Amino acid sequence: MTPIDNIVEVTVFTTEMFIVLSPILLLSFGIVLSLLLIAWQRSQKMIAVFSQAILTFTLLLSLHLLSGSLLTGDGVQITTLLKVDHFSYISLSLICLSALAVVGLSGQVLKSEIEVHDEYYLLILLVTLGASILVVSDHFASLFLGFELLSISLVGLVGYFREQKYAVETGFKYLILSASASSFMLLGIAFIYSQTGNLSFAVNSAAVSWSPNSLQLFNSIGILLFFSGIAFKLSLAPFHFWTPDVYQGAPTPITLLMATVSKVAMFTVLMKCCFAQGYFNNEHFVDVILVIALLSMFIGNTLALKQQNIKRLMAYSSIAHFGYLLIVLVISSEQNIDFAWRSALFYLSAYILANVSIFTIVILHENRILQNSAEREISIGDWQSMFWYRRTEAVLLMLSILSLAGIPLTMGFIGKFYLLNQAVISQSWWLISGLVIGSGIGLAYYLPLIFTMLKSSENSIVENESPSDTFVKSPPLFITILIIISFYFGIFPDSLSQYIM
Amino acid sequence: MMLTIVIFGLLLSGSVAWLTDNKTFAGVKFQAKWLSLCAVLTLGSYFLLSIFSHAQSSVQNFSQLQLFERVPWISSLNIDYALALDQLSITLIVLTFFLAVICILVSWQEIQEKAGFYYFNLLATFAGIIGVFSAVDMFLFFFFWEVMLIPMTAIIAIWGHENRYFAAIKFFIFTQVSSLLMLVAIITMAYIHQQQTGLLSFYYQDWLSLDIKIGIAQYLMLGFFIAFAVKLPSVPVHSWLPDAHTQAPTAGSVLLAGVLLKTGAYGLIRFVIFLFPQASENFAPIAATLAVLSILYGAKMAFAQSDFKRLVAYSSISHMGFVMLAIFSFNEIAYQGAIVTMVAHGLSSAALFSLAGMIYHRIHSRSLNDMGGFWQSAPRMGGFGLAFAAAAFGLPGLANFVGEFLSLVGAFQVFPIMVIFAALGLIGSAIYGMVLFQKTFQGMPLKPVQDLSIREICICSSLLGLLIILGLYPNIILHHSFGVLT
Repeated sequence: MTPIDNIVEVTVFTTEMFIVLSPILLLSFGIVLSLLLIAWQRSQKMIAVFSQAILTFTLLLSLHLLSGSLLTGDGVQITTLLKVDHFSYISLSLICLSALAVVGLSGQVLKSEIEVHDEYYLLILLVTLGASILVVSDHFASLFLGFELLSISLVGLVGYFREQKYAVETGFKYLILSASASSFMLLGIAFIYSQTGNLSFAVNSAAVSWSPNSLQLFNSIGILLFFSGIAFKLSLAPFHFWTPDVYQGAPTPITLLMATVSKVAMFTVLMKCCFAQGYFNNEHFVDVILVIALLSMFIGNTLALKQQNIKRLMAYSSIAHFGYLLIVLVISSEQNIDFAWRSALFYLSAYILANVSIFTIVILHENRILQNSAEREISIGDWQSMFWYRRTEAVLLMLSILSLAGIPLTMGFIGKFYLLNQAVISQSWWLISGLVIGSGIGLAYYLPLIFTMLKSSENSIVENESPSDTFVKSPPLFITILIIISFYFGIFPDSLSQYIM
Repeated sequence: MMLTIVIFGLLLSGSVAWLTDNKTFAGVKFQAKWLSLCAVLTLGSYFLLSIFSHAQSSVQNFSQLQLFERVPWISSLNIDYALALDQLSITLIVLTFFLAVICILVSWQEIQEKAGFYYFNLLATFAGIIGVFSAVDMFLFFFFWEVMLIPMTAIIAIWGHENRYFAAIKFFIFTQVSSLLMLVAIITMAYIHQQQTGLLSFYYQDWLSLDIKIGIAQYLMLGFFIAFAVKLPSVPVHSWLPDAHTQAPTAGSVLLAGVLLKTGAYGLIRFVIFLFPQASENFAPIAATLAVLSILYGAKMAFAQSDFKRLVAYSSISHMGFVMLAIFSFNEIAYQGAIVTMVAHGLSSAALFSLAGMIYHRIHSRSLNDMGGFWQSAPRMGGFGLAFAAAAFGLPGLANFVGEFLSLVGAFQVFPIMVIFAALGLIGSAIYGMVLFQKTFQGMPLKPVQDLSIREICICSSLLGLLIILGLYPNIILHHSFGVLT
């Protein structure tokens, strides 16, 4: 049988594989080192700097390998478990970038407490490792490994501030739902295995024929269960119920981590799996995607309308955004896979940039306004007339919101343009109308956010302006850089999309 | 380079105006309004001069689109930064510049707070509008189409009247959703081009040679049509307009009525008619019906309003109905009528909105019930008011008459019955025009108001002057826009 031959063939670990895999090896090695570092001396500053260094090196290494000529064509297969290609590196870079932002912003949140938070940083690194395993996995086993590593570390982080009001509730909610999601997924994988006898992404597509077959049902149920596990992580409707609560209850940097690292990794692996297995040829699967995408667009956007809490609003908007993103899974033929990847990665980059920007401001704002109160919650009203007394931050915020709304001059628009291109190529008119209507509803909550910032300062909170602010020097520069990036890639998207190809 | 300089010059001077407003450098206090006025005047005259010199040197005389710039922008999707001009776009850009000056002048006293940011938005809107009129790459066109929308929304939302957030959101959502439909049509066109020639293209001239099956063309045409009908606006997608016009500050209303609505008409002519001639001919009866409905509905609703600006807003719907009727009549006389009506309505509605702004400045109300008898204390204002109302209802000798007359004559050859109904709209406009004038300037004087200042006289007389010139000698426009339409 060919699958077994394959396995024997590729188990040799060559230098090329080592080099290709080096970013992930570096990350794992860094985690071990940071454990040693904690054993040697417990210092929050040190571990923060160390984690940032690890992430930066991983990022640089993957960017270096991305521009190198090692990857040709289909990418490098490393045992049956992993396969590194061009797109994995891009996702990996995106993951490292967002993790870097999370680590950097965590400093703002953690400093008010007395403890030393080594394990916090360690957990973030583990989440990143889980995510990077996901993006290179080519096998259901490695997928599950990465999935679990990601989820379990996230559970620890979600309830990290155990003193806070929602911490326990949030942690439990996430733990239970995440565990049930992974068990569903495991069951799904088992069903798939029962039909194909192999867990590799690539082999399955050859083994399974879509012709009607008495046991076809098992395979379909397997795929469905597997997909529902991933949909839970991506918080697609109808698996979205945890999202607003967990977004709201988790520490804000962790919310950002969930919104970016976990989702990028999950979506990348979903795409890898779907394209490798040729699910897009399966009518039923496409129908399921269609329904879930439309539901997510509709539910996410409608429920976001009345939200006052920023984090909840972002939660609902993320549901809608991943609904839009599902468009790339519905492709008409193999030739469009490259374009689908390009669209998805561009959209994800735009999404990450907007999320990082918004959460940066939220964290800075939380620090500033709610320093003394026990509750760290920002509502829309707190942003009133921000534009007139805190210009730079407000401009960044507006750009990011416009980007999420998909208005030109921002990356979000180009991302949406790519998605529409993708949808037109595959002629999925339902998804297009969903996207158009969804964006229309979306404007009804994005615009009021902007208008709130533009409102005149009648009784605003200007008195909070004081030099004694716990305002670290780096954020303003960081904010300016984010603004420049958002504009630059919004107006010259080619500089990014050429990199992706 | 010329158009790029104009567009980016506007954006740049807007930014400079924003940053330097109310700051003192070397003993001189900078004010955003002076800077914007200078910028608009300079760039406007630069534009006119280069057009003249260009027209003299080249043989073509802008009867066809003349490409000014074409550089690759997003090369992975074959999107270019391409700008071109023909007589239609030149006419509209000149109108834009003229109204830009008017806009700045009417804001002179009205906008006191956050003036820097206000002028930035104003100039950014002008830049976007000029971009819309000159872009020939469809992605670029869409880009500008949205770029003019954002600052316009900001103007309504920040400096508008009591209900401004609602109006701004409504305006934005209507335009955005409809323009997304257009974006889908644009992308589909690009892929049809790829199917037929093997090359993805968003370039307008490439699209003209496409041979699209009528079945698909019908839908694509509809995508464009809806976007432009919302902007125009036509019944039944008009409902953003009365709110946006009423709530916007004076300059916002002038800008909206004067040029923003014209982008819809421009789009109908340039894209709907030229890209899908067959499909739009099939669609013409429906479009004409919508146009006649707009004319009658607008006139009827205008008559029922008690808010000065709302009345003028509804009258805009009525007037733009004539433009749409003419555009879908497919003959030369009607086209010329449409273009004259566009320019004339740009001027006359700008004039009426400026007048509304002047009255609001004096009595702080837009309600017709708070007005009355202004003639006694402000005869100059009354005189201009009468003239502008007369222009709005199409008095011969003023530009609107020429436009509407030509539109109706042209359309009569195609839709005789509809034109009979449309002509009833003229009677309607006479009624609401007179109501407007009487309620404002005649009757018992409620309270005395100050007569027009010199700045306001300048605004009014320049608008009136142009209306009269175009009314008596419409050949200025007719002569020039002739070539576009063959």
